[in-house]
Amino acid sequence: MSTVAEPSAGFRNEPILELRRAPARESLLEALRELDARLPLSVPVLVGGERGPAEGLDSTDPGAPGRVVASAGRAVEADAAAAVEAAERGFRDWSARPAAERAEVLRGAAAILRERRLELAALQVRECAKPWPEADGDVCEAIDFLEYYARDAVALDEGRALVQVPGERNTMRYAPRGVAAVIAPWNFPLAIPCGMTAAALAAGNAAVLKPAEQSPGSAGALVDALHAAGVPREALSLLPGYGEAGAALVRDPRVHVIAFTGSSAVGLEILRASAETPEAQGHVKRVVSEMGGKNCVIVDSDADLDDVVPEVVHSAFGYAGQKCSAAARVLVHEAAADTLLERLAGAVRVLDVGQAERFATEVPPVIEREAQERVRRYAAMAPALASSEQPLPEEGWFCAPTLVADLPDDSPVLSEEIFGPLLAVTRVRDVDEACDVIDALPFALTGGLFSRTPATIERVAARLPVGNLYVNRGITGAMVGRQPFGGNRRSGIGSKAGGPDYLLQFVEPRVVTENTMRHGIPVE
Amino acid sequence: MELASQDAELRAALFRFVDVTPACRSLDDLARHLTGYLEEVDDRPPPIQAAMRMSGTKPGRAALGAAAAAGVRHMAHRFIVGESPKAALKAIRHLWDNGAAVSLDLLGEATVTEPEADRYAARCLDALETLAGAAPSWPERPVLEADSLGPLPRVNLSVKVSALTPLLRPEAPEVGREDATRRMRPLLVRAKELGAHLHIDMESVDTAEATLGLVFELLDEPELRTGLSAGVVIQAYLRESPQQLEQVLDWAAGTEREQPLVVRLVKGAYWDHEVVDARQHGWTPPVFEAKRDSDRNFEALTGRLIEGWPHVRPAIASHNLRSVAHAVAAARELGREDRDVEFQVLRGLGDDLAAALADLGHRVRIYCPVGDLVAGMAYLVRRLLENTANESFLGEQQRGTPIEELLAAP
Repeated sequence: MSTVAEPSAGFRNEPILELRRAPARESLLEALRELDARLPLSVPVLVGGERGPAEGLDSTDPGAPGRVVASAGRAVEADAAAAVEAAERGFRDWSARPAAERAEVLRGAAAILRERRLELAALQVRECAKPWPEADGDVCEAIDFLEYYARDAVALDEGRALVQVPGERNTMRYAPRGVAAVIAPWNFPLAIPCGMTAAALAAGNAAVLKPAEQSPGSAGALVDALHAAGVPREALSLLPGYGEAGAALVRDPRVHVIAFTGSSAVGLEILRASAETPEAQGHVKRVVSEMGGKNCVIVDSDADLDDVVPEVVHSAFGYAGQKCSAAARVLVHEAAADTLLERLAGAVRVLDVGQAERFATEVPPVIEREAQERVRRYAAMAPALASSEQPLPEEGWFCAPTLVADLPDDSPVLSEEIFGPLLAVTRVRDVDEACDVIDALPFALTGGLFSRTPATIERVAARLPVGNLYVNRGITGAMVGRQPFGGNRRSGIGSKAGGPDYLLQFVEPRVVTENTMRHGIPVE
Repeated sequence: MELASQDAELRAALFRFVDVTPACRSLDDLARHLTGYLEEVDDRPPPIQAAMRMSGTKPGRAALGAAAAAGVRHMAHRFIVGESPKAALKAIRHLWDNGAAVSLDLLGEATVTEPEADRYAARCLDALETLAGAAPSWPERPVLEADSLGPLPRVNLSVKVSALTPLLRPEAPEVGREDATRRMRPLLVRAKELGAHLHIDMESVDTAEATLGLVFELLDEPELRTGLSAGVVIQAYLRESPQQLEQVLDWAAGTEREQPLVVRLVKGAYWDHEVVDARQHGWTPPVFEAKRDSDRNFEALTGRLIEGWPHVRPAIASHNLRSVAHAVAAARELGREDRDVEFQVLRGLGDDLAAALADLGHRVRIYCPVGDLVAGMAYLVRRLLENTANESFLGEQQRGTPIEELLAAP
């Protein structure tokens, strides 16, 4: 029995577009023009190959709420039940295929996404107001997940090496669990649903995808690509809709794995609901739940502020602060605080707030009205040190990116996830005090440290509980295979997406021990 | 320096130290950083071991910190001509007396805010005024003051587009370009009034499109077509540099400029950045990866640039003896007078070459950074990187590589 091969063998990240070149930018604008001519897209409920109606749920452009991007079906409880039933059938076929064959299908889907990457990036610009560099990055990440898990699943299929003694053969292999329910967010509208679905499928499970109600269009494109590449219709269903379909999936006793990424409230509710194990349910559900964060960046007195300012600004305000990894707080050494605040304030004032389709835009609108109201509610709790000075566009869910500082310790702005363009700076005596502050937070997703002292970097890395710590760089933009991503503490349970342990959550280990002695004769 | 050139790890440690010096708050802090970096070096020569031993006590650290700070300052003075344009006047005059012209370069922090961009623009204006106030008292140096096309300004300032705006972003070059244009225009207007030359430097590929676009647009404005002397840079390490040069030559041939555009040909100083940035993104690096290829391209572009005279004034900026000799020969072969090709070197690195070229009657201009130590550090480290890079001409020369090998055709 060989040991598991390196999952990253042969894997390389899909290169993002070189947007500093004018032709690359022009190609995206052309794709957007073509997409606009086709809107609204039609995204039906897809259960085991049956196309339901594509009505009941519209996704709209956050920058122009009157524009419908996708007309989608609205899956209800009965659709969820039908999808799980189809998935049980689909599982028999799909799981019986060799891992290598499944991997080829997933890589075929990656090829389809690659072929359509410009159009898919344009779709995110419209459906989620994701600016071009981030939209393009999201499509690349989706491709990466397919390529990475496809390779990893083949490696995992080899099983693990065990101790062997004469007369006995021990093997450890991994088997798919069954039906996976994938409940995905809108902020990485292609990459995150793709990652969770691809992992489930690569490991041999059937999947039912319930995308966020804000982004059914991207999810539809994903499911189309997987089906076109050869995933059996019954092994992958799509349930666009609101919470009811997701809740029904979570409760369904025939579901084995639930992969969720989203808010803490929903994540914890899923954990509670999935823990119900009625007599008739022949297994205990496995839940992978990636939830919120309150991500902090520590700035030491010897940090290079020329680097800190642009990196922190991009981490906090890129995509309007709507990445799970986004910077929400800066904890700065008091010796560097005044200078940093002055420079950060100046950088925030010149932030470009605008529609996602403009290449100049740094801060697009937030996803929906409720998000805009939430961000404004938090912003009202603290006096702004600086805000962007450009007038906000009249249409769209815009929030002015804002910097606040020196808030009282009990301010909700310092502890609650806001998920918007609001950054709070706090002065600390030293790096150790900053670590204490972070240690006291319930979340532990990403973190950052700017320091030019090797011993400090080592000490902070050992001490911080965060899932992903970034040193002397921005704290967003995790790459598959390079920065396996996921949080600890109340930020999540489950092992890191895009990393070597992720697939283990979608399989169950089986150990076989065979007595190879036959009447005193060892049979090898 | 030689010690550092020998050992990559040690070199990295010392660069990191030079880099952090401005952010250190005390001698103790300096010493802690120095020893922190040295601890990561596996093979420590005896003088370094002695330094590490000193760091065990507070007085030891104070002494070590003071020595290290003095060392960095000493090194910085080799490259930085003065803390301000006014403070640099004496050194500039000295160079002029000895037959070399200068181009001043104002060092500073990265520009991330509007006030920082405004401050840089104000410093540029101050530099122009200060130099223009002093230059009339300099003695006549015919070689430095005219070529066969006419008189050349005594005052010469190099400016960076990235310092004139906080808005330069690679995916939206027009935004930064517009913002920089609005600060660059008054500088060009003032340079014209003062009879000074303004040279727009080239930086990383991320800003190349904005920079060239800005130059073409501004220098085509009617007011700036007459009287003003200005220049751009072509970086020969860029794979696309032949096309860039053709673009510049076409523009120069098609525009009605009274003073021909000066085109400075350099190898390029952002090689590591460009290669790492491209590798991390999965792109083909925009630069030649073998030094030989850059050298060969430099020679090809030299020929093309000299052919472009009199629409452009060629300036060859290299410390590579072969590149320089090739330019002299190429100019003569094309029938140009020696004074129609300028040579440029960096302060602190090309001083000997500058003296030799001046002795031979060539026009030499020394690129002189100005600024305080804090501001100068990033610049300094970049220069050091180039100087001690394994393949650099000066590094090889220092190590005693035979001259025949150094001068071989690339």
